[in-house]
Amino acid sequence: MGKRFVMGLFENENAAVAAVAAVTEKAWNVEKTHSPIPSSALAEALKLKKSRVGYFTLAGGIFGFFFGFVLAGFTATRWDLIVSGKPIVALVPFFIVGFEFTILFAVFGNIIGMLTQARLPNWKRDRFYDERCSGEHFGVLASCPEGEEKNLAGLLTAHGGEVTVHDA
Amino acid sequence: MMPDTGNIRPFSGKAMGIVCGILAVIGIASFAILLSGGHPERAWQAYLINFLFWSAISQGALVFSAVMHLTRARWSRPLAGVAESFTAFFPISLLLFLGLFAGRSYLFPWLEMDLHGKEVWLNLPFLFTRDGLGLIILYMIGFVYVRSATGARSVKDADAGGPQRRTVLAVLYVLAFTFVLSLLGYDLVMAMDPHWYSTLFGGYTFVKAFYIGLGGIIILAAAVHLRNGEHSPFEKKQFLDIGKLFLAFCLLWADFFYCQFVVIWYGNIPEETVYVIERTMRAPYRMLAWGVFTVCFILPFLILLNRKIKTMPRAMIMLCSIVMAGIWLEHLLLIGPALSGHGEGLPVGIWDVGMSLGFLGIMTWVLVRFLDRHPESVTAAGPLADEKEAQ
Repeated sequence: MGKRFVMGLFENENAAVAAVAAVTEKAWNVEKTHSPIPSSALAEALKLKKSRVGYFTLAGGIFGFFFGFVLAGFTATRWDLIVSGKPIVALVPFFIVGFEFTILFAVFGNIIGMLTQARLPNWKRDRFYDERCSGEHFGVLASCPEGEEKNLAGLLTAHGGEVTVHDA
Repeated sequence: MMPDTGNIRPFSGKAMGIVCGILAVIGIASFAILLSGGHPERAWQAYLINFLFWSAISQGALVFSAVMHLTRARWSRPLAGVAESFTAFFPISLLLFLGLFAGRSYLFPWLEMDLHGKEVWLNLPFLFTRDGLGLIILYMIGFVYVRSATGARSVKDADAGGPQRRTVLAVLYVLAFTFVLSLLGYDLVMAMDPHWYSTLFGGYTFVKAFYIGLGGIIILAAAVHLRNGEHSPFEKKQFLDIGKLFLAFCLLWADFFYCQFVVIWYGNIPEETVYVIERTMRAPYRMLAWGVFTVCFILPFLILLNRKIKTMPRAMIMLCSIVMAGIWLEHLLLIGPALSGHGEGLPVGIWDVGMSLGFLGIMTWVLVRFLDRHPESVTAAGPLADEKEAQ
């Protein structure tokens, strides 16, 4: 039996969230959602697994902290410039380098995590995508077995969606 | 679970009154024992530390409410109500400040020093006048602000004033807070070593007060949450958000400490370094300095990276209590060497703990009395009645 895709476009976040909850309750699948803004309510309704991006950020930050100290120490020992009796490898001021590198590498880790976890870049254009989802609409793409698309479309329409049905 | 919009369960009762009363008696007895012993300076040192510590909690807690009002935050409404309850300690704080005059010969070592021109600023009449006036102004603004906020929640009080009036009061309170706390930091802590100075000390003092103020709010909110169970006015996400704020101020506190430290380290001027060396490299304070840094920064920083723990009221009560105990010890670290010198051990003992318990008893009693009189303070998130009208 084939699969049918139904795209519902909603004018507000609450309607999209309610539609997602209704679709999952009926044992149909929500394939994808599109939102013009980051929406924690949609993320909650989709019951997604916890993102692993934070671990990449943390690992980047920890690496950066130590790398900053090592880099500062390494460069200081290339030319022993003693100023007012201060040690060449001095941990107190190196902390600033360590701190800045913590932030820098945490950002690097965050970007790497985002790219790998979201499988970006994705050059293939999503054929169900509606450009209005980059403007003011919320999109909920749901799938169902062939023959049930009318019911699914009716459910999304009942929640205020503008519906289009696609073949697999 | 949705928060309950009804009133919270009262705290006060016979048992609570007895416990707080016993703690207060322990505190007074401990003070008397220290005072009549061989080292009355220890009694006044503990008195000063406790005055600064418990006053800072109450002053810092109210800043949270003012800042939340100014930023038009709705998520924190019940937490702001809890924060406002700390104003109940203001009159006691003012009385405690006046009490410092009785211990002046022990508390102000500069009285017998040659101050090389600083006596224009460091003299008792001027110090007590400016700090006393500062506290009176701060507390009056705080009271009027809280009256307006509690009045807006209560249908009984029609004279509460609108949100605009509260905005003006909140701005005034925040400004007075930064000014008065800076003044107290310079006069009652930094001036203990009158030849040492740090221009950042005032900022460090009020950031620290906000930090422990948040700790106090979390502890009280968690206690209300645990007592009310299913009918708690708080949601998990509110604990999560104030936990994030607590982590942010943990970082800011460490940042202010480091900003002072690194400048002194670079300058390497004996007049400046002596203060740091006495507190971080010489016995008996060396270990205490590391302990304070670990408890007030490293420990909460590592623990609060975890998201879940911020939503666990019992765990947060423990963590905040540890951090606040660390800040109490930090006051000892700043004041102890100037007042008690470098003896064999730390100038702290069982009677100092007893005095702190006394202050804890008083603080607990005034808080529960406030919450029982104004249960509407801890309402659910959202705009207050007059804010809805103003929209």
